[in-house]
Amino acid sequence: MKSDVKINKVETDLLILGGGSAGLWAAHRFNELMPERKVTIVDKGPQDWGGLMTMAGGDFEAVLPPDTVDEWLTDLVYYFDGLCDQPLMEALLARSADRMRDYERFGCEFFHTPDGRLKSVPQRGLPHVKLYPAQQKGRGGELMAKSLVARLKDAGVTRMGRIMLTDYLVRDGRVVGAVGFHCRTGEAYIFKAGAVIAATGMGGWKTSYGKNTPTGEGMQMAFEAGAELQDLEFCRVWNMPRLFAWEGQTHLFPLGARFVNRLGENFMSRYSPILGPNTDPHFTTIGMALEIRAGRGPIIFDVSPLRGEDMILLKPQTGWQKLNYDKLCKLGLDLFKDNTEWVPQMTVSHGGIRAGIDGSTAVAGLFAAGTARSLEPGVYAGGFALMTTAVTGHMVGESAAAWLKGADAAPALNEGEAMARLDRAYAPLGRTGADTLTPKEVLTRLQAAVFPYDVSIVKNGPALTKALAEIERIKAEELPRMAAADSHYLLKLHEVNAIAFVSELYVRASLERKETRAGHFREDYPHMDPAGPAWFFIRHGADGSPEFVRERVPLEKWKVPLTRCYQDNFNFVEPRDAAKA
Amino acid sequence: MIKSIDRDTCIGCGACVRICPLDTLRMGEDDKACIAYPDDCMTCFLCERACPSGAVDVDPLREVLPPTFPDVPVELGGGRA
Repeated sequence: MKSDVKINKVETDLLILGGGSAGLWAAHRFNELMPERKVTIVDKGPQDWGGLMTMAGGDFEAVLPPDTVDEWLTDLVYYFDGLCDQPLMEALLARSADRMRDYERFGCEFFHTPDGRLKSVPQRGLPHVKLYPAQQKGRGGELMAKSLVARLKDAGVTRMGRIMLTDYLVRDGRVVGAVGFHCRTGEAYIFKAGAVIAATGMGGWKTSYGKNTPTGEGMQMAFEAGAELQDLEFCRVWNMPRLFAWEGQTHLFPLGARFVNRLGENFMSRYSPILGPNTDPHFTTIGMALEIRAGRGPIIFDVSPLRGEDMILLKPQTGWQKLNYDKLCKLGLDLFKDNTEWVPQMTVSHGGIRAGIDGSTAVAGLFAAGTARSLEPGVYAGGFALMTTAVTGHMVGESAAAWLKGADAAPALNEGEAMARLDRAYAPLGRTGADTLTPKEVLTRLQAAVFPYDVSIVKNGPALTKALAEIERIKAEELPRMAAADSHYLLKLHEVNAIAFVSELYVRASLERKETRAGHFREDYPHMDPAGPAWFFIRHGADGSPEFVRERVPLEKWKVPLTRCYQDNFNFVEPRDAAKA
Repeated sequence: MIKSIDRDTCIGCGACVRICPLDTLRMGEDDKACIAYPDDCMTCFLCERACPSGAVDVDPLREVLPPTFPDVPVELGGGRA
């Protein structure tokens, strides 16, 4: 780091990394319980922008009467093929209605039917799990973010934007702060904190629209500080229009929309006669991939079965979604009128930090909330993230407050360590030479390694092994050659480092899980392991490299037995073979 | 991807620069917003919506990414040109 870089030092009781839904809720709850303590939220994006929540439609999952928590828990054990941490999920579901009521109290409205009841949309063919649509289709998430930020402003919570944190500072096994830099001023920051909450979101591959900010550095930082990770083999493969971005297709399938292949066939009804097109997008994208591989693409979105009265729920009415829709219509790309082509696309990782119900991690003083921790195994019901980020954020705010009450004062920072970590973070800044690479060049190669369908959707051992070799080559030959012309690109460079970290763990974990379960489909292991569900946790091995630890799901200790699996609704192998024959 | 910021229409308020999640926009030397890092845009429209004078124009088509089906022709749903 150059000697003229200004170093800012900030002391706070609670440091929250990430100003999205989980981070804002954590700050809100902590401040309610400990208003005298200082809270600081740091985000690599703009101050107060609200993270991915800002671009969410605002649909919320909550267990409301007559549904019960046990009914939803039973749905999720089935939906997750047994990979459901039942005590954790029960705790989240039990608090979901309170957070939805909080939002209503904050002025965020949900859609009501003409008779005054809350409108709900069932999800993925599950008996009870459903979402409650926001009244302002297209702005719901934005209004949620604004309502939380307004409360934090009133409470005097410090919010700082454009600062990317790159390393935690750990002393005697306890996290005591973090270091990073401002992507516009280039100034360095050293934070000293009594407790830290990682609300940094998931890893991802920058697939445009709302998915270019979650890149996994929070996961990488936590792992390097000693935390464990889990569920890295699961990623979100989403159905996306080939040419543009769209939010809200989740609503369309329960109401009759479907994908058809080049022959006009509703192919999901072939792969799953029970669920048909109204299923989890993860399974839809497997069907899309098999159709395209078999030469029956392209895949077209067919909304002709939709009823007119449902359209009000579906067409964007405000916000970015309406702007996007209006512009697309002018280009002849009206989703509700024209035949639009859709493709399966790997987007973000479902992996995250391993944490207890209270959000505690393997590192004292470090808590995880929201999508920075892993909650679901690669399948995703609409409204789940807005609910779980709100609930886990709220819960972790409480946990951090309780922990700080009982903890000793944080030990002094090791200034030498902080400076060494800053030196490392700044090293690529101004790097020159004929062989340097831009972060974007390396990002494109990482995307090319993991995006192919046999690595991301219909996985197989040889393709994963080939992808791993390419990622290892990129790590060895290209990451060290990345250069940042300024502090903007320094941020992008650290994001690409994190994307490489997540990509490697994604492929390694995918090789490790030799079965097909929930959001992980291995064509060479197309069935569930008869030994039952198990998680793969990732910790530091003796030589410092990631070590995978298999841990059986202790179903015998938990409330809901695994009597059926969502996976059993699908047969992706035989129909394709039959089609070939 | 972001297409343009009309310099004549821009009033230099900086709203788009403040809201861009990817730090794509910056204030130029003429105190008007400029597209400093176009490759980083993710087509989220936050800048266009924040602009009080209608100076910002975002193209709704998203960035072309490495293909999911490198060996399948484009006309059959793949990524091979």
